[in-house]
Amino acid sequence: MCEHGEFASLILGGMAPSAPVTASLFFTCLADALYPNVALATATVLERFGVTVRVPLSQTCCGQPAYNSGHRKEARKMAAGFLRAFDGDGYIVTPSGSCAVMVKEMYPVLFRNEPRMLDLACSVGERVFELSQFLVDVLGVTDPLSAFKGKVTLHDSCHLVRGLGVREQPRRLLRAIPGVELVEMEDSDRCCGFGGVFSVKNPHISCAMVEKKIERILATGAQYVTSGDLGCLMNIGGAVSRSGYPVQPIHLAEILAGPPPDEET
Amino acid sequence: MEPKCHNFSRNVEQALANRNLQAAISRTTGRFLEHRNAAVRSFPGDFEAAREAASRLKLATLRDLDIHLSRFIEEAERRGATVHIARDAAEARDIATRIAKDEGIALAVKSKSMATEEIGLNEALEGAGIEVVESDLGEYIIQLAGEPPSHLIAPAVHKTREEVARLFSEKLGETYTEEIPELVAIARRRLREKFLSAGMGISGANFLVAETGSVAIVSNEANARMATTLPRVHMVVASIEKVIPLMSDLPPMLRLLTRSATGQPISSYVSVLTGVRRPGDAEGPSKLHILLVDNGRSAILRGKYREMLKCIRCGACLNICPVYQTIGGHAYGWVYPGPMGSVLSPLLLGLREASALPDASTLCGACADVCPVKIPLPDLLLELRADARAQGHRTPGEVLGMKGFAAIMGRAGILEALERIGGVVCRLLFKDGKIPWLPFILSGWTDRRDFPAPAVRPFRKLWKSKRGVLPWNR
Ligand code: SF4
Repeated sequence: MCEHGEFASLILGGMAPSAPVTASLFFTCLADALYPNVALATATVLERFGVTVRVPLSQTCCGQPAYNSGHRKEARKMAAGFLRAFDGDGYIVTPSGSCAVMVKEMYPVLFRNEPRMLDLACSVGERVFELSQFLVDVLGVTDPLSAFKGKVTLHDSCHLVRGLGVREQPRRLLRAIPGVELVEMEDSDRCCGFGGVFSVKNPHISCAMVEKKIERILATGAQYVTSGDLGCLMNIGGAVSRSGYPVQPIHLAEILAGPPPDEET
Repeated sequence: MEPKCHNFSRNVEQALANRNLQAAISRTTGRFLEHRNAAVRSFPGDFEAAREAASRLKLATLRDLDIHLSRFIEEAERRGATVHIARDAAEARDIATRIAKDEGIALAVKSKSMATEEIGLNEALEGAGIEVVESDLGEYIIQLAGEPPSHLIAPAVHKTREEVARLFSEKLGETYTEEIPELVAIARRRLREKFLSAGMGISGANFLVAETGSVAIVSNEANARMATTLPRVHMVVASIEKVIPLMSDLPPMLRLLTRSATGQPISSYVSVLTGVRRPGDAEGPSKLHILLVDNGRSAILRGKYREMLKCIRCGACLNICPVYQTIGGHAYGWVYPGPMGSVLSPLLLGLREASALPDASTLCGACADVCPVKIPLPDLLLELRADARAQGHRTPGEVLGMKGFAAIMGRAGILEALERIGGVVCRLLFKDGKIPWLPFILSGWTDRRDFPAPAVRPFRKLWKSKRGVLPWNR
């Protein structure tokens, strides 16, 4: 629905930026309220690579929960708020694949009958990147310079892999960390059963799905399961915490940032 | 069949309680998928380009569907067929029953057809005293069991071998055996008698070719061929979107259909049936009735769900769907299961009956990725969810909750205040940072999962205290 603007052609042209890069952190409501360390880790990693991180403090939720359950009026309201908060220039980076997809792919649908808002949605949308995508595709990072240690398996979140086409970027970053052993699980891109509102509207199906996912995670013998989406991690983590499975969910940004200073050995 | 989509959550509970079912479904869908993926890898040419071309062909055909349909009707009638048009399921049942009666039919054999399931043909014919026998092995099994199909191409996928054995001994009085070749032999023997005495064969159609008025049917059992050639009368029941313009459009569609369905480069049988038996023909029916069923398609065609009519019923979206794999086909409550059913059933039955189906998806997008005609299933599910809200098929609690959520999210200051209150309260209540139960509509989350307690210092607060409030931070 959007035509590529200048910004996108720059990126698609494969030009790594040479001038200092500024990025606005789209920290997501989930990280804000439940996992502030993930947002902090995202900022840490970006700053490590010389990015000037701005945090628009008026941002709240992109509206995905409302949109996904059909409440378009409410979703539009939240989307308009998001566009106001992020109007401007520079990259927008987020530690969540599904939130990135919401802005990039769904805002144009939400505003399909409002030409002015549609333009704004498109121009903001093309500035949005998921963290690993931004690091690898835009900054050209090959080594995240992380001191993280452990055996890690990666859950490909649906929106990252099928929405944004991001499959290799997180793997490349993980493999470049000397202390990380990346072990692949079977069907890593099969949905974990979260699905936002799905997880509360269809909890039995959701739980059966997450159990299948955890089976595959455990089969790898990894200590950590990571992902570029907090929704999946909250779902997997919720089941792990209830049943006491021997694996620890951790967001990709936290691995990339390395262990927090007080845990460093 | 009476739709039971409104009972979705009860259907799901039943499905999840049945361990056999889940094992059987995941085994079969897994095998179909493996074969499909292998067939895509070894596809002669660019599979993506083939999907794109098929999607375009279908869309272009739908745009001028009336023209292609008239051509089909004209060409089919020119070759001796009688074409009937039914606006809805009831009319389709009436027409089909009348045809059977006029032809003096006492026994009809059927090959697999979703359109006849949709209109409830078997019950109608049986109600009129006509015996109907399903001749596809899977359909035969579920007919004996009195159940609807649970998969588009493998209707009895939910049945284990033991269940079939029991069914055959109870319903047919055969000696009990669990050996598959013996079970197949029983069905074959029983069906052969029926084929030879049936006055009418009933089939669906995978494609209707406008150029020649032909009906194309793919199958892996010889039954379709027998049902369409042995009996004196052949009745085709097909929904109107099955039409394609040219005979040369058929091969590219078949290539995608069979590969996406079972991974076969081509099915064991492909029948292209054109007109009635001519003098000198070795076989074929002397009477051919083609019943075209609209049943809501014209309306779909005009609106935002048009792309759903591209569906060629390959079943790939079912096989890859983690929800379908978990609950099987019957839970969807009507004849069309999985992601395609979650779109099509509400369109055909209305959201009052089926508003739970569009919600039964995580929007993971796997279905859209495999669909050979590139139907954007998740987008259509989202549209249906929006329609469900607009038409009042949302609980007041949900609507109120969402309004409240949007209002809180409208002001970062309010959000932050609430987050901090929530954080402090939860820290007092849940010392280990895990919330073991949530209230109201959220309670499903905590049946078998914990919820993380909100942070006492949300990120916004953390960042402000670390970095201060800078000009761009407002
Ligand atoms: S929606 Fe697509 S994948 Fe699903 S049955 Fe129809 S054609 Fe096949």
